[in-house]
Amino acid sequence: MAIKAPSAHLYHSIKLEAANTKLGHGGRKSLNQALNLVAYIDMMTMLVIFLLMSFSASGEILFVQKNITLPDAQNWSDLDRAPVIGVTKDVVTLDGRQMATGEELMKDSATGDAKIPELADQLVTAKNNYKLLHPTEEFKGVCIIQSDKAVEFKILRKVMFSAATAGYQNVNFAVRPKAKGGAAPAAAE
Amino acid sequence: MSVSVDSGNKSGKKSLNADLNLVPYIDLLTCMVAFLLITAVWTQLARLQAQQKGMGAAGEETPPELQVKIVVVVNQEGFNLVVGQDQTPIPKKGADEYDFEKLATELKKAKDGHPDKNDAQVASEDTIKFDVLVRTMDTALQARFPDISLVDTGAAGI
Repeated sequence: MAIKAPSAHLYHSIKLEAANTKLGHGGRKSLNQALNLVAYIDMMTMLVIFLLMSFSASGEILFVQKNITLPDAQNWSDLDRAPVIGVTKDVVTLDGRQMATGEELMKDSATGDAKIPELADQLVTAKNNYKLLHPTEEFKGVCIIQSDKAVEFKILRKVMFSAATAGYQNVNFAVRPKAKGGAAPAAAE
Repeated sequence: MSVSVDSGNKSGKKSLNADLNLVPYIDLLTCMVAFLLITAVWTQLARLQAQQKGMGAAGEETPPELQVKIVVVVNQEGFNLVVGQDQTPIPKKGADEYDFEKLATELKKAKDGHPDKNDAQVASEDTIKFDVLVRTMDTALQARFPDISLVDTGAAGI
């Protein structure tokens, strides 16, 4: 096969007559076309407005676990950052880590003690960490209980007792907000 | 990417058609959409605040005998509203349905009788579901009792 010098015109043998005519401005109509961007800008503007309306500066404090159905409440307040205790029929978690199983909690202990030792220990650790990280701030003792609506009070009582013994006296129950009623909402803080 | 503005003036020598440069505007919108999509909060959650008087170390500031306690006892039969020494049983409407409307009415009466009272206790039996407790606390908050405590029936002293 003979070696040829490189050429600027590949496929020279193919005669693209119509394209050559157009690109060479030989045709009657130019190929320049203006894109109609009005619909695109409308769509983007609507999207920005919708997203701005659902924007929350505090970010996502709680992630809904798949096996937890939260109850509804009308007299709610906004969530604050605090340790999150997840409670289902099967398991109790603290910030995603398992603390006890539901089966254990449904049993009555021999001593009648309602404390969940691991949960209380971890909450004390969280309290000490908070005091170390925020030496000038007062510890408010707030924790969030994210419980399934079908959980019995027996489990909740043990969770709340463990939180109380660790110094978390103020419990916030995570709920799904409903439209507020006519009466004044709950005093937040 | 441009939009032309036609002035309608055909008589002048120079055309007033101008091209708006939309590229920066589209860039801005695209950046905003990307930022807002990343930071969007799709699940709106809230909280009900409760305290734990009787379960932990939180104590009463004044002697209990000097206070009128307002306690909503939740049990399998329904509610029992305790205001001081008075008890008002509120049985269930059906087999499983608690009568929250009547509870709200009775709590409003209690608030009218004790307008300075801001705290109320919800005392529950072990078998009561969390959903019922939340609705009970919600009803008490609606009746202008902002300081709600959730305790068991033993701690409430009923």
